[in-house]
Amino acid sequence: MPSLKDLKIRIDSVKSTRKITKAMQMVAAAKLRKAQEAAERGRPYAEKMRSIVSNLASSVKNIAEDNKFLGDGRDSDKYLLIVATAERGLCGGFNSSIVKLAKSRIAELVSQNKEIKILTIGKKGREQLNREFESLFIGHVDLSNEKNITIDTARKISTDIIARFEDGEFEVAEIFYNKFASVISQIPSSYKLLPVAFNEKEADASNVSFNFEPDEDEILNEIIPKSVATSIFSVLQENAASEQGSRMAAMDNATRNAGEMIDKLTIDFNRSRQAAITNELIEIISGAEAL
Amino acid sequence: MKNKFELTIISAERKVFDGEVENVLAPGMIGDFLVLSNHAPCISSIRPGFLEFSEGTSQKKRYFVSGGIIEVINNVVSVLVDYAIAGDKVVKEDITTLITEVDDKLSTGDIINRDDLQLRKNDLEEALKQA
Repeated sequence: MPSLKDLKIRIDSVKSTRKITKAMQMVAAAKLRKAQEAAERGRPYAEKMRSIVSNLASSVKNIAEDNKFLGDGRDSDKYLLIVATAERGLCGGFNSSIVKLAKSRIAELVSQNKEIKILTIGKKGREQLNREFESLFIGHVDLSNEKNITIDTARKISTDIIARFEDGEFEVAEIFYNKFASVISQIPSSYKLLPVAFNEKEADASNVSFNFEPDEDEILNEIIPKSVATSIFSVLQENAASEQGSRMAAMDNATRNAGEMIDKLTIDFNRSRQAAITNELIEIISGAEAL
Repeated sequence: MKNKFELTIISAERKVFDGEVENVLAPGMIGDFLVLSNHAPCISSIRPGFLEFSEGTSQKKRYFVSGGIIEVINNVVSVLVDYAIAGDKVVKEDITTLITEVDDKLSTGDIINRDDLQLRKNDLEEALKQA
């Protein structure tokens, strides 16, 4: 039986833990709102970008088929997997669910004898993949100094990826992240960045013949890096919102657990205090009787 | 009756402008061009510079845009740019920062599209004069 003092110390320590988790939950809630707003503001750009790429690609099919950036990448042998995780932990299963998805994809590709390279965004994913796949790492993006994801960050990543693509380091690039379904539910997903898939159904004007200025090829070459950067940007934004949502849920849980623990410990504390009092009384009474 | 059409200016981080306009003067990659209603569908890249449009009143609106894409289709004009700043809020320093960025890239040496960057720098300097 722990002494009264020990119990008191434990109760205090759990109480201060609860304070911390409560504060983290509230911070995450505030950040989540911001991240969600940012993601929503960026959405029109991403949607329009996709529709322009689709319009463009479907109206210049013959050129599009030759363009190395476009296609379905079905018969490729070299894969680049981009694993986008958080810089910090304490956010429930956020990081490990992404890593788990990436690992299962790696296993699948290995069984098909494909060549795999890995680029990590965010420290946590790198730490988890480090043990098994260190030899496959080709780069890492550190986001710890970025308070908010900016398009510049996304652009830097995409420039790097496109340069590697042009060097022939890989033929298909997939990015792994957590899709933001709702505040309490984030779905680990993957998205194919390169080659850019275009969907003719998304083209709202497949019968229109466009005038291009300067010409189709140049526009394609200009727009594709932009669309890759945009995709990365929206993926990272969604990931950031998911991270905060996940952290909020995890911290909410932790706060509740701490509360339960405090209740239990307080009962223990009261019991042992009562036991001590009873004990003392018995001693006094039996001492008096002995006289 | 005036013919109006829809114009949306979207930067990567938010929607900058959305409304009905009478005409748009865009800084196309190979020259400025004017879009009126019922313009033929076209997709063009634009260079950094000023985008002008009028909403029907005599007052013209001006936005400084960095390079991007413009799409004209069925009387809907969409402008996708990296940055867009309303004309009266343009600060010369903003443009100067962009010029320094390009300069930085030029000085790093290992770039393929040196000519493009140089052109871009010229465009920015031109825009700086107009600001």
